[in-house]
Amino acid sequence: MLFNAHFFDGKSSRTHEATVKVNALNWQISYNDEHHTPIVISWNPQKIQKSDVYTKGLISFTYGDTFPFQKIESEDPSFINYINNSDQKNLNNRIDVRLHKSKYKSLVFLLIGILGIGILSYFYVIPTVATGFASTLSQKNVIDFGDYVFRVLSTDLEIDEEASERLQNFVDAMDISSEFPLKLYVATSDEMNAFALSGGKIVVFSTLLEKIETDAQLAALIGHEVSHINNRHVLKNLARNFGGAIFVSVLFGDINGATAVLMDNAHLFTQLSFSRSLEKEADVFGLDIMKKNNVDLHGMPQLFEILKKESSFDVPTYLSNHPMLEDRITYTTKIADEQGSNNGNDLLQDKWNQLEVLIKE
Amino acid sequence: MEIISGNTSVKPTIKYAGKGAEFAIIYFKNIILTILTLGLYYPWAKVEILKYHYQSTALDGARFTFHATGMEVFKGFIKIYLMFIVLYGLLFYALQTQNQTLMFSSIGLFYLFIFLIVPFAIHGAVRYRSSRSSWKGIHFKYLGVRQEFFWLYLKGILLTVITLGIYGAWFQVDIRKYIFSHLRFGDVSFDFKGDGGELFWINLKFILLVYITLGIYSFWYYKNLWKFYTDNTVITQNGKKVNFKFNMQAGDVFELLVINFLLILFTLGLATPWVAVRTMKFFFRFLEIDGELDTNAIQQAKYDDYDDAAGDDLLDFFDFDLL
Repeated sequence: MLFNAHFFDGKSSRTHEATVKVNALNWQISYNDEHHTPIVISWNPQKIQKSDVYTKGLISFTYGDTFPFQKIESEDPSFINYINNSDQKNLNNRIDVRLHKSKYKSLVFLLIGILGIGILSYFYVIPTVATGFASTLSQKNVIDFGDYVFRVLSTDLEIDEEASERLQNFVDAMDISSEFPLKLYVATSDEMNAFALSGGKIVVFSTLLEKIETDAQLAALIGHEVSHINNRHVLKNLARNFGGAIFVSVLFGDINGATAVLMDNAHLFTQLSFSRSLEKEADVFGLDIMKKNNVDLHGMPQLFEILKKESSFDVPTYLSNHPMLEDRITYTTKIADEQGSNNGNDLLQDKWNQLEVLIKE
Repeated sequence: MEIISGNTSVKPTIKYAGKGAEFAIIYFKNIILTILTLGLYYPWAKVEILKYHYQSTALDGARFTFHATGMEVFKGFIKIYLMFIVLYGLLFYALQTQNQTLMFSSIGLFYLFIFLIVPFAIHGAVRYRSSRSSWKGIHFKYLGVRQEFFWLYLKGILLTVITLGIYGAWFQVDIRKYIFSHLRFGDVSFDFKGDGGELFWINLKFILLVYITLGIYSFWYYKNLWKFYTDNTVITQNGKKVNFKFNMQAGDVFELLVINFLLILFTLGLATPWVAVRTMKFFFRFLEIDGELDTNAIQQAKYDDYDDAAGDDLLDFFDFDLL
């Protein structure tokens, strides 16, 4: 087979119009040099180097073990066709040839691939890996992490030592099986809130304590927060958040600001929904702890009533990291109603009274 | 057969022949491979994409070739990763001791190191890219001296800081002058004849006008900036000097940037490969070699087989591309 090509001898940039006679054992390149002398060069097909990229309508090859390298370029359709159909690995890339054969089909196929991998990673791989990481982290690391966060936060917290001690007594009197030693803090603040840190620290704000009326309500609060700690919710949440955020920024960060912002927000929404599912889980586990301690499960919905009364507005569920209080009241009341009779817990009642006296004086 | 004979000195034409859909296949294929290999494939992806742009660029009908290999770039990345692991290891070690002096000095050293490595990265990157670029079988070559470049860079940075950024324009021009004057293409050499003052004036006009025109002046600014860089690039062949010329107008810049922006925005980024091809086509459409260059008479010079891609990879890390 005889094809047309441009030949470059590697010594100068002169373009030589050449013919290439191709067979399996030998490529024979013939051209006339600047003095019109016919020159014939022979290439061993095994040693030819392809350019390793597909551009339609053009093929180019280099040849030679030592500098300067010889080169041919060709736009001859029959040559290109021959190369595209060759079985020789160093002349073409079969996958590329096939991908570029039906361009638009390939594009659709690749885009579906990217979308599929993206969806699978974001909704399955990353959450599984992140939660797995949070669950297998050693107890010591979890406690160290919680301590670190507490150190940072504590500079802004005004801890009430006396109240903290009485709250600690209340919790110590509860029958709780926890992987981590529980340490309670009461912080003076106008905010109606309480939070748990990884590794066993729980901070309750004074305003919330003041509004609590019974030992069952306090047990509900503690049960909820302890469930966060036992299930390593903070870590799971953080790991997922982090993993997802990295994924989104890697995939969209390089493209443009607008898309990145859009995707960041989408990520925030899924993250909030995950947080809500964790809160619900903590409510359910919290009720279990209450049941074990023989207190009235209605303390949980009552606690939510208190929170509801105090919060001036209720954000729609999809915008919140907690399920709407109304929902929580409904589902916890349903579980509480199934409890049947209970005698209360005198020890907890007593510890609560001691704390209540101090708080409400 | 021989049609090219005698004096072939004519105005050479430059053209970018890439196609959006074709590049998109390469681009998306590489994204998939990179994700599936958790990023390990990235060096090969980067090389193939550059190879595509090179092979799609035609000067006088002949295409450019990029000879880098994924393995070279991969090895470079390993070096960079090891460097960062050691660097961050030391930094985190110092931070967890909670010792104030140790913490601050290690943060200081960390940034000083990052800052001082930049000139080495630029040097390595230019040398690697040049060594791996050819046209008609003739290779590019960078003859810059690392130490010389480092001191030039350090001097420029210090003067820029001392003059509160004013010297920045002269600094940029000095860097470009140094790189271009040490760049060879066979027996053809390059130079940059731009003046720092001119660049300073372009930047100053931008600062003065961009706000009062609500950003519209940016199109003129980019036109001026790109023209400054291309029009001042000189090619010397056998003692004869030839200039590049960039014929773009502010309206063209507007068309390029606004349509690129809209394409990316409304496709959530899917149009990225089309935008890349569009941009390349655009630049080469307005780029012209203003004078006669004998594109058949360039003689090959000694080869600089420089296979260390670490500098190039580090610039990639800083999101900085030589093109």
